[in-house]
Amino acid sequence: MKTKQEAARRVSYYPGCSLEATARDYAESIEGVAQRLGIELVELADWNCCGASAAHSLDHRATINLAARNLALAMQGPQPLVVPCALCFNRLASARHELMADDSLVIDSIGRLGRDYAAVEVKELNEFFTQPEVIAQVEREATQGLGGLKAVCYYGCQGQRPPKITGKANCENPQGLDRLLAALGAEVIDWPFKTDCCGASHSVARPDLVHTLVARLYERALMQGANCIVTGCQMCQANLDMYQREIAQEMGREVYLPVFYFTELMGLALEVPQASKWLGRHLVSPRALLEESGLPRPVWERL
Amino acid sequence: MSGQVIDLKKKPVSGAVLVAGAGIAGMQSALDLADAGFFVYLVEKNISIGGIMAQLDKTFPTNDCSTCMISPKLIEVASNPNIKIISRGSITSLEGEPGDFTVRVTKEPRFIDEDRCTGCGECIKVCPVEVPADFNLGLNQRKAIYRHFPQAVPSAFAIDKLGESPCKNACPAGISVQGYVALIAQGRYAEALRLIRQDNPLPAVCGRVCTHPCEAACARGEVDEPIAIRELKRFVADWEVNSGQMDLPTCKPPRPEKIAIIGAGPAGLAAAYYLALEGFAVTIFEALPKAGGMLRVGIPDYRLPPEVLDYEIEYIQKLGVEIRLNTPVGGNLGLEQLKREGYSAVFLAVGAHKGLRLGVPGEALPGVRSGVEFLRQAALGTAECPGEKVCVIGGGNVAVDAARTALRLGSREVTILYRRTREEMPAYEEEIEEALEEGVRIEYLAAPARFVDQGGRLGGVEIIKMELGEPDASGRRRPVPMPGSEEVLAVDGALSAIGQEPDLDFLEPKSDLEVAPRARVIADPLTRQTSLPWVFSGGDAVTGPASAIEAIAAGKAAAESIRRLIEGQDLAAGRQKERPLAVADKEGVTKQPRQRARRRDPEQRKGDFGEVVQAFDEPAAQAEAARCLACGICSECYQCLGACQAQAINHDLEPSELTLKVGAVVMAPGFKPFEARLKGEYGYGRYPNVLTSLEFERVLSASGPFGGHVQRPGDGTEPKRVAWIQCVGSRDASQGRDYCSYVCCMYASKQAIIAQEHLPGLNATIFYMDIRAQGKGFDRYYERARDEHGVRYVRSMPSRLLEDPATGDLIIQYYDQDNKLVEERFDLVVLSVGLTPSPGARELSQAMGVDTDRFGFAQRSDLNPLLTNREGVFACGVFQAPRDIPDTVMQASGAAAQAGEILAPVRGSEVTVKEFPPERDIAGQETKTGVFICHCGINIGGVVNVPRAVDYAGGLPGVTHAQDFLFTCSTDSQEKMAAVIKEQGLNRVVVASCSPRTHEKLFQDALRRASLNPYLFEMANIRDQCSWVHQGDHDAATDKALDLIRMSVARAGLLEPLRQFPMPVEQTALVIGGGIAGLTAALSLGEQGFTTHLVERAEFLGGLARRIPSTLEGFDVQAHLDRLIDQVTHHGHITVHTSSEVKEIKGLVGNFVATIKRPDKTITLKHGAAIVATGAQEYQPTEYLFGADPRVLTQLSLNQALHQNPAWLEGVHEVVMIQCVGSREPEHSYCSRICCSAAVANAIKIKEARPETEVTILFRDIRTFSLKELYYQKARDLGVRFVRFDAANPPQVNAGPDGLEVMVYDQILGQWLGMVADRLVLSAATRPNDDAHVLASRLKLPLDADGFFMEAHLKLRPVDFTSAGFFMAGTAHGPKFLEEVISQAKAAAARAATVLSKAEMLVGGEVAVVDAERCVACLTCVRTCPYGVPQLNAEGVVYIDPAACQGCGNCASACPRKLIQVQHHKDAQIVAKATAL
Repeated sequence: MKTKQEAARRVSYYPGCSLEATARDYAESIEGVAQRLGIELVELADWNCCGASAAHSLDHRATINLAARNLALAMQGPQPLVVPCALCFNRLASARHELMADDSLVIDSIGRLGRDYAAVEVKELNEFFTQPEVIAQVEREATQGLGGLKAVCYYGCQGQRPPKITGKANCENPQGLDRLLAALGAEVIDWPFKTDCCGASHSVARPDLVHTLVARLYERALMQGANCIVTGCQMCQANLDMYQREIAQEMGREVYLPVFYFTELMGLALEVPQASKWLGRHLVSPRALLEESGLPRPVWERL
Repeated sequence: MSGQVIDLKKKPVSGAVLVAGAGIAGMQSALDLADAGFFVYLVEKNISIGGIMAQLDKTFPTNDCSTCMISPKLIEVASNPNIKIISRGSITSLEGEPGDFTVRVTKEPRFIDEDRCTGCGECIKVCPVEVPADFNLGLNQRKAIYRHFPQAVPSAFAIDKLGESPCKNACPAGISVQGYVALIAQGRYAEALRLIRQDNPLPAVCGRVCTHPCEAACARGEVDEPIAIRELKRFVADWEVNSGQMDLPTCKPPRPEKIAIIGAGPAGLAAAYYLALEGFAVTIFEALPKAGGMLRVGIPDYRLPPEVLDYEIEYIQKLGVEIRLNTPVGGNLGLEQLKREGYSAVFLAVGAHKGLRLGVPGEALPGVRSGVEFLRQAALGTAECPGEKVCVIGGGNVAVDAARTALRLGSREVTILYRRTREEMPAYEEEIEEALEEGVRIEYLAAPARFVDQGGRLGGVEIIKMELGEPDASGRRRPVPMPGSEEVLAVDGALSAIGQEPDLDFLEPKSDLEVAPRARVIADPLTRQTSLPWVFSGGDAVTGPASAIEAIAAGKAAAESIRRLIEGQDLAAGRQKERPLAVADKEGVTKQPRQRARRRDPEQRKGDFGEVVQAFDEPAAQAEAARCLACGICSECYQCLGACQAQAINHDLEPSELTLKVGAVVMAPGFKPFEARLKGEYGYGRYPNVLTSLEFERVLSASGPFGGHVQRPGDGTEPKRVAWIQCVGSRDASQGRDYCSYVCCMYASKQAIIAQEHLPGLNATIFYMDIRAQGKGFDRYYERARDEHGVRYVRSMPSRLLEDPATGDLIIQYYDQDNKLVEERFDLVVLSVGLTPSPGARELSQAMGVDTDRFGFAQRSDLNPLLTNREGVFACGVFQAPRDIPDTVMQASGAAAQAGEILAPVRGSEVTVKEFPPERDIAGQETKTGVFICHCGINIGGVVNVPRAVDYAGGLPGVTHAQDFLFTCSTDSQEKMAAVIKEQGLNRVVVASCSPRTHEKLFQDALRRASLNPYLFEMANIRDQCSWVHQGDHDAATDKALDLIRMSVARAGLLEPLRQFPMPVEQTALVIGGGIAGLTAALSLGEQGFTTHLVERAEFLGGLARRIPSTLEGFDVQAHLDRLIDQVTHHGHITVHTSSEVKEIKGLVGNFVATIKRPDKTITLKHGAAIVATGAQEYQPTEYLFGADPRVLTQLSLNQALHQNPAWLEGVHEVVMIQCVGSREPEHSYCSRICCSAAVANAIKIKEARPETEVTILFRDIRTFSLKELYYQKARDLGVRFVRFDAANPPQVNAGPDGLEVMVYDQILGQWLGMVADRLVLSAATRPNDDAHVLASRLKLPLDADGFFMEAHLKLRPVDFTSAGFFMAGTAHGPKFLEEVISQAKAAAARAATVLSKAEMLVGGEVAVVDAERCVACLTCVRTCPYGVPQLNAEGVVYIDPAACQGCGNCASACPRKLIQVQHHKDAQIVAKATAL
């Protein structure tokens, strides 16, 4: 039998839909970093919607079955099943939790694929990349320090709560990204809004609400002396990155807070060649900050 | 015994009891057991007893000081001859059966002899290691040697050691590295250097050239970089050199034996040093013209300047070591010759000076030389430039040294050839770097194939490239030549430095000395003894080329062996030590790079032999030393050894295993506060101004981290707005802590009040879910806090805290009573953390074979909560379930009773009674006072001029003897004191030392051993009240000491012998009340072997419990009761009197006479103790249509109805319950404690029997405290509805046609709700019996404001009456649950047993005596006495019974005619003392 550490070098991977579109930068950085670290991400063959967004608010049975199919596919692959999107993670983990107690909701066609839900270990990507052994490897292999970055880590809510589903013991004050960034030489700033709501998909229907929530996050990050925000959720990244100028105007103050995916910073530290390209896709250009910190600048500025 | 029947056909074997845990529970159990004639082993994990109660500031609901309450208890435990405290003990196994258990206990050493330590505290002054003070929860620092607080018991200090620190462990010489680093951090350089020299006499040398394996092992290296230990060593060594003062040690007196040492290298020098210290005459024979060995001739001067070496050699020579230079051993001067010349032993330390040959063609060419030889010549000043272009072969330090030396001697190009890569290069990294800086070239993976002959001289070296193959024996990859890669490098000089070996040619050919191949001496690795018993060897001669520190270690070890050889001791005994390695906690250590030593500029330095590396300056050294993580906690710097004049410290102690024989076990492992970090939302551990409640207790405490000043830890400012958040880690399923922790609501209220006392005007806010004030006097306390102190109670649970980083203030968002979201700012937030079983409880339970529940509390399976699954093992205190101090104390006494029940047949078998000689009659003798003055080490002697005090005391009136002792309390001083008293016929004794609180009894025993009455003793406290408070002013302190001594001498002259008189005890008990309390108490007493009379007013036994079918937990009460009654009525020691009443009790403790009216006749009964267990009643409500409408009933009736008639629920669709009927109202302002649980129990029963029945409970606060909370949760899960109402707006009930119309104003919805109930159930109050006051006045016992019997002390004496010999149990004392009644009944039995177990009791002594002649019977004393002792006797004057008098002195001070005198504290004695001032 393989030891846990060996197994972790080859994992199943469920990218989710947003990593194919709005969060392409995230997807590329994940793949780039995993490759650099020698971790093989085995994408689930023929994966489908996780059941988030519309499904779970409309049809419980449907959303369970959507997730169940993905879980059934993952049963065949290496463990754990690593999920970058916090919403996908939450859906898959919730479904697994529910199905382990009672799998009667699963329709026959999916049930045929497999029913051993306990065998699938659903792990959020940032949790996977911040395991002590991975942090140690990154620290060992990093060649570019991240000094100059004063980061607040923003974990968002879906990956954390509720703990009985997410398995996060410290869901009120997660530490993984903080540890990782500190190991890479960034100055990590503790703040209390690590898991506060960013407004999620309400940015379409209720931008006012999202602006209020995000403004609160900016306010606090700046108050604590941060010069950037690091996240592991593409929804959070989008909400914090996309409307920064507008929200700053509403706030009546200057806000310059580049919003990084933690994998992008791992890429910079590990000097993955494409790393500076990923950063070029952000709306709030990190150029000035990186320049100031003596870090490689983005090579692909938006027009 | 209830519930658990133990077959006692076999008589118990041991009359001893093990009590595990010495918090308030363990202490109370121990005291009750010891006072009832059992020997107690009190095993405590910590270094002192007292548990968490010792950490509390004040206690609710009386605001008594916790320390003031617990300190006398601590002393009581400490001075009880039948309690053996085993501190730092943990129980590993329990075998056997009740009456005959074997317990194994592991005792970790405290490293301080408890009997010798005088508690003077000198050691803490010198200890350099500071760690967070655990007693103050890390709010301040303490030393590695410590005790928790001044009143701690045992009073001895203790040392914390986690094991051997990695640095010390890695050092071949075993130097206490952490120790000297700690001393350097404190600027104590001389001490640091002395510590190094204990194991290494060459600190300046090693500070430069040591291979520092310590640094490789340093735990700091795992955080950032290891401590620069070598540089620190050099810093202190140089510091001494610069100070110009050689700090020489004192050698032992000279001995006749001579020792020869061959070789003046590091091994030889070290051996010489340690042998000289032992007093031996040491001669070193050195072949070279200079001493130092390889240090001199192997290490170039730029690394180790010769004057540094000279200094340390001179240091060793100053001890009398003779060094004979130019004196090779061999030829005429062989080993045998040395023996003949009278040397008792030889240490052979000739080093390894012979260079190995390369074995390469051309090696004999001129210009090819040995590297070691080259270095030797350079050191001795005879070397020449080895060539213009030089190659050096090798990768060790010799190679690099040779290369750099060649540069300094004029070589222009120097190349090192090394056959592996830089990673494998054995030379020090820093040396390689320095060499490269200086321009040395290193060619890796290169080896010489041959030297090129150019006209008979060296013309070049042919180099063959290598590649790394498979690992070889050394673990390094073997270099393999690559054929065809040969190239020639033009050189005119070559230095071969591939290794050395010892040169042993001097040995006599027929010497018996065994030598290994490659010319190494064979010596035992531990003792360094060779095949010749009198010859020892070490250093490179044995190991081949190795490090200086290994040689030094060998020299030191050989010196020890030689001493042992000469003294005829075993050479090896006790030298091999396996110690656990200490691992520092690296969590939260911030990175901080190490200090770097400066090096001279390469261009400049390569031109001379001046030292390259510069020493640290002082700030750098201290900053570097401060980076140490203090892995071992104790650094083993041994400073305490020097400071301790009582010689109580021993750093070498090891854990010991004890095997104890006991008959029963009481488990009281207590609790620890919930770990607040687990609630990340409250920021504990991140926000400095968020504290746990226990931390806040310490903040409030005068002995706490801030001396009782209430301040914010963040910035030291006084908080103005403080918030408490309740239920942190309680009632929280997400944390696996679903239970209620019982005490938090009350302690938060108390803390709020006390904080306001500290800081008037402080704004206190408590965020809560329910206020649980269910104990006696609690509700009134809560109301006082709210209404009088203005503590704001907000019913809301904040979901998180935010810190304002600019101010450190904390912002809480919550919903106020109007459901509005409010954001409020506080200066300080206290988290009211819950109680969780102590970490040791789980292991203890496993060792005991005792089951625990999912939280870790003792698994309960009987109505009697003290029982565990293991017979003979009892649980009490918070280990049983969360509870407060009085309940804990009750259970502790109850557990003592349980043990007593098993062990009654062997009571008294293991206790000891001190025997003293008969007392000398001093009547009519002239006063002969002896004064003994204590130095207390330097505690008194360092401040007060003790010799002057002795002189002065000797001249005082009546004093015939005065002397001083270093420690008067030590055993030998005590013996001397007793001897002096006898020899000189002293008849009064004064000791001027410390506190009578701790030491009076000890000195009184010395008097008794000298046949003197103990009351002829007087004590002057010249330490706590003099030398400690006037440390800065020696003269004034001395004057004050003289005053204190004079006062004591004046009083001593008037002291009179007092005697206590034995009075026989009537060993019979009377129990009043035949309910479950009385029955339980009577049965326990009967089982404990005491004749017991149980008096019950009613015709039948059982009381109110007869109406309770089962408890909330589902225990069958009736079955229990039936069994109990059966056992009581058939018990051989118990007589039951039903339909009987106690009319009167006369007499005193031990000798009461009760008048009992029985149906047939009135009898009198002699007894020694009485237990009042008369119970209480259920209030019969006048409100809510009770009595007027048959659909309205009480919880008690509902419970019966549900049990007796399963069909009762037919057609009952809606049940409404109303809480607090008759409780918590102005006339009855107490909580009835049991009604919330009773309601929940009945609601669950209804829901389980008929789920469709709606049950609604209208409540004010749900008080399902402790584990009962789980049932509240269950009731909610079952769909029981809970609606909160306010006392100002009670529910309204009207009888309607379809049912009872109940209206309630819902606090959360803010509107009236109406329901129509088929049944209305009232949670009626528990009220005292209507005639409780009649019994109270008959027995002269007090009632409290609510009409329940009043205990002697709310906290620590919950079952005692103030009148000695009377105890109480059950609901007569206040509302309580059945299991609490049982615990308390057992407790009352245990307390009664402390009286009844003695055949006689001593009375008199320090009691009040009335001058009957002059008494006018004004009765002032009768009214004053808090114990009701003075009584008018037949002669018409007041009589104070010495058996009852408590000696408080209230009557004496109140008596208008001043004719009551408390013995030993007579007016004349006090006046004499006062006027002497």
